Amino acid sequence: MTAPAQQHYNYAYLDEQSKRMIRRAILKAVAIPGYQVPFASREMPLARGWGTGGMQVTAALIGPSDTLKVIDQGADDTTNAVSIRRFFSRVAHVATTEKTRAASVIQTRHRIPETPLSAGQIIVYQVPMPEPLRKLEASERETRKMHGYGEYGLMHVKLYEDIARYGHVATSYDYPVAVAERYVTAPSPIPKFDNPKMNMSPALQLFGAGREKRIYAIPPHTRVRSLDFEDHPFTVQRWSTPCALCGTTKTYLDEVVIDDRGGRMFVCSDSEYCEERREAGHAGAMLASAEAMKLVDARQPEDAP
Amino acid sequence: MMDLMDARHTPVIAHGQEGADDQAMDQALMLRVRDLAKDFTLHNQGGTVIPVVAGVSLDLARGEAVILTGVSGAGKSTVLRMLYGNYRPTRGTVEVRHGGRLIDLVSARPRTVLALRRSTLGWVSQFLRVIPRVPTIEIVKDPLLARGVDDDEATQRASAMLRRLNLPERLWRLAPATFSGGEQQRVNIARSFVDPAPILLLDEPTASLDGDNRRIVVDLINEARHDGAAIVGIFHDEETRERVATRHFDLSQYRAAP
Amino acid sequence: MSAAAQPSLADDAAPVLSVEGLTKLYGDRIGCRDISFSLWPGEVLGIVGESGSGKSTLLRCLAGLARPSAGRIAITLEGESFDLFALDEPTRRRLMRTAWGIVHQSPRDGLRMGISAGGNVGERLIDAGSRHYGDIRAAAEDWLGRVEIDSSRIDDRPGQFSGGMQQRLQIARVLVSGPRIVFMDEPTGGLDVSVQARLLDLLRVLVRDLGIAAVIVTHDLAVARLLTDRLIVMKDGHVVEEGLTDQVLDDPHHAYTQLLTSAVLT
Repeated sequence: MTAPAQQHYNYAYLDEQSKRMIRRAILKAVAIPGYQVPFASREMPLARGWGTGGMQVTAALIGPSDTLKVIDQGADDTTNAVSIRRFFSRVAHVATTEKTRAASVIQTRHRIPETPLSAGQIIVYQVPMPEPLRKLEASERETRKMHGYGEYGLMHVKLYEDIARYGHVATSYDYPVAVAERYVTAPSPIPKFDNPKMNMSPALQLFGAGREKRIYAIPPHTRVRSLDFEDHPFTVQRWSTPCALCGTTKTYLDEVVIDDRGGRMFVCSDSEYCEERREAGHAGAMLASAEAMKLVDARQPEDAP
Repeated sequence: MMDLMDARHTPVIAHGQEGADDQAMDQALMLRVRDLAKDFTLHNQGGTVIPVVAGVSLDLARGEAVILTGVSGAGKSTVLRMLYGNYRPTRGTVEVRHGGRLIDLVSARPRTVLALRRSTLGWVSQFLRVIPRVPTIEIVKDPLLARGVDDDEATQRASAMLRRLNLPERLWRLAPATFSGGEQQRVNIARSFVDPAPILLLDEPTASLDGDNRRIVVDLINEARHDGAAIVGIFHDEETRERVATRHFDLSQYRAAP
Repeated sequence: MSAAAQPSLADDAAPVLSVEGLTKLYGDRIGCRDISFSLWPGEVLGIVGESGSGKSTLLRCLAGLARPSAGRIAITLEGESFDLFALDEPTRRRLMRTAWGIVHQSPRDGLRMGISAGGNVGERLIDAGSRHYGDIRAAAEDWLGRVEIDSSRIDDRPGQFSGGMQQRLQIARVLVSGPRIVFMDEPTGGLDVSVQARLLDLLRVLVRDLGIAAVIVTHDLAVARLLTDRLIVMKDGHVVEEGLTDQVLDDPHHAYTQLLTSAVLT
C-alpha cells in the first residue's frame, strides 16, 4: 500500500504532534460553534493563502478509510483541486472521488456542493480571512472584545452602508452569518447563494485559515442565520436562465465565454452536479452545441485562486 | 414644581399697616437679609482685602420697591448681586421666600440657587443675554411657555408686550443678535416683564433708553409691583428713582471699615 | 429654558452621577485627586483648568475610559444606582453606547471616517437593537436636520465635511440614542470663532430641550459661561474652587481662579 517514495513523510504529511494540536483546536471549535480558535499553523508544501489552513484541517482528521473530494470554485478539475487531491492520495493514501455523495471528507474553496450533504460527511473550507469584523475594525484586541461581548452592531452598519449606497446589500460572497445565534462568522468566500446550505446542515463544517492561524466550526444541525434588516431580508442570487448544459434552475451559475465573438452561456458552477444531471438525461438549451464544440470536456477554470 | 408657581399667584396681603398681624407680615415677607458683608480678597495683588459693605440687613415685602442709593462705590451693585447669588457674601444670610418657607441663598446648594433664580428671582439689566439665533417673539414667549401657558395665549401676551415697548413688528421673527443696543434692551425688558418673577432685581434697566421708553419701563415696574412683585433696584436717574421707589435704602451707612 | 429642564427645588431627586473621592494616579504622578461632586438631570457641569490640571483625566474616568485608582463613580439610571467600575466590562461598554455619550475634541476620535454620515448616526441605534433599515435611516435624517446638516449629505463620508459639520455630526451620533449623560472634551476646540458660536448655540438648545446631564471639559471660560450651570476649577489634579458658573467667574475666591479669570475676557 505504501509507496516507497512517500516513506520520507509522516502519514498525512504533518507530524503526529502537529495533528494532535490541530485536532484539539478542532474539538474546541466544535464545542464553541462559530468561535475562531487560534492554532499554530504549520508550513505546508505550498504558499500560505493557497489553502494551507484547509489542508492542515484535512490532514489532521483524514484516515486511510476516508474518501476525499476537493473542489475549487465548484470544479473538481481545476489545477488547485487536482493538486490537493493528488497530494492527499500520496501522503495519506486515501481514495479520492469527484462524487459529492461518495466523499467522506470534502475540502472546498469558494463553494458548497449543490448535492445536499449528509450526516457523517465533513466539509472543510479554505478561509483566507476568518475575521468578519476585520474590514470594519482594524484592532484585533477590539474585535476579540466585540466577539466576546456579542457587540455586532458594526456588521449591520456595513449592511446599512450597502443599502444606502446601492439600494440593496451588495455583499455577494463571504456574507456574514450568525452561528447558533451567538458568534458572527465569516462563511469564507462562498457566494451568498450557498449560505442557506450551511443552516441546519447534517454535515460537520470545519474552517481553516492557515495564514491567519484560525480554525472554526459549525457542528451538524446548527442554526446559521445570514444577517439582514427586517425591511431588507436576506436573499440569494437568481438567474433568468437555467443552466445551458443541464437545464436546472436550482444551482449557482457561472458565466462561460464560448468563443471569441462574444458568445457566452451560463452553466452550473458545480461541475460534478451538472455532469450527474446530464448523465441522468437532463439537457440544457446549449448542451448539443457545447458537445459538438467539445466545450463540455474541454472546459477550463475561469481563474487562478 | 407646582409650589414654585403658586407663589406667584398668592394674593397680595396688606403689609406694614398698623394692626396687621404678625402672620400676615410674615406671609408678605419675600426677602430677608441679615448682617450681609462682602470683602474682596485679591490673591494676586499681595492678598489685598477690599471691604465693600458690612452689616446690611433688609426686609422686603410683596408690593415694595426698595431703591438702593449711595455714592458710587458704596456697594449698590455688590449688594444687588449678592441678592441674586452671583457674588458670594463674606458674612450674613440672604433668605428668599419659596412657597411657605425662606431659603438662605448663601448656604443653599448651587442647584437650589438655580431653581430659585428660575422660579423666584428675576434679574433685569440693560443687557440681553439669550440664545443668539432664537427669534425675538420666542425669546419673549419662553418664560410663559415654561410655566405651561398655552402657545396662543403666550403669543398674544408676548406680542402685546413687544408692541407696548415700541419694538417694530417686522423685527419679531428675527433673532435680536443684529438689533441695536436699545432694541435688544427692550427685548430683554419684554422678556423680564411678560411674566415678572416674584422678586425683581433691577440693575439700571432703563439706562440708555430714551424718555418715552423709559416711562414705559417705569410703568411696567410699577404694574409688577402692584401685582405683588417685591423689587430691589438701582437707578442712576433721579426721576426714575422717585417714580419707582416705595422706600430708599442708603448703603453709605453700611460702608465696611477699611 | 423649558419646563422639562428645570431641576426641582426638592433635593430628594437622585443625582444621575455621583462622584466620591475620585483619585487617579499614574505611578507616582497624580492625574486627579479626591474629586467629589454630584450631577443632576438637566444640569451642565463645566470643568475648567489649564493643560495638565487633571481635567481630561477626570473626564476619562467619568466616561468609563480609565479606571480610577480610588474613589467611586455612582450612576443612577431609571431609578437604579450602580458603581460604574463595579460593572462588568460588557455592561459598561453597552451603557457607554446607549445611556452615555462622549463628544471628543477631535471628530476623528468620535466618528467612523470610512462610513457615511447616516451610518455614523445609525450605529448607535443598531447597537441599541434596531434592525429596521427604514427606521434607522429616518432617525438619521431627523438627527442630521437637528444638527443643521442638510439631509442630502446623509450618504457622504465625514471626510467630505468641514470641521464644524464633523463636530455636529459627532453630536448627532451621540444624542440619537437618547443618552442620559453626555461628556464633552473641548467640543469647540480647533474651530473658528463663528463656527464655535453656532455649535455652542446648538449644544445649549439640545442639552436643555432633551434634559440631558452634561459634563464639559474646557479651558475656554467663555464656553463655560455660555454652556454650563456649575463650574469646577481644577489645578494640579485637584479642585480649587467650585460653584455656580457665574459665581465662580464673577466672584472668584481662589488665587488660581482669580488669575484664570483675569487672564481672559469673558
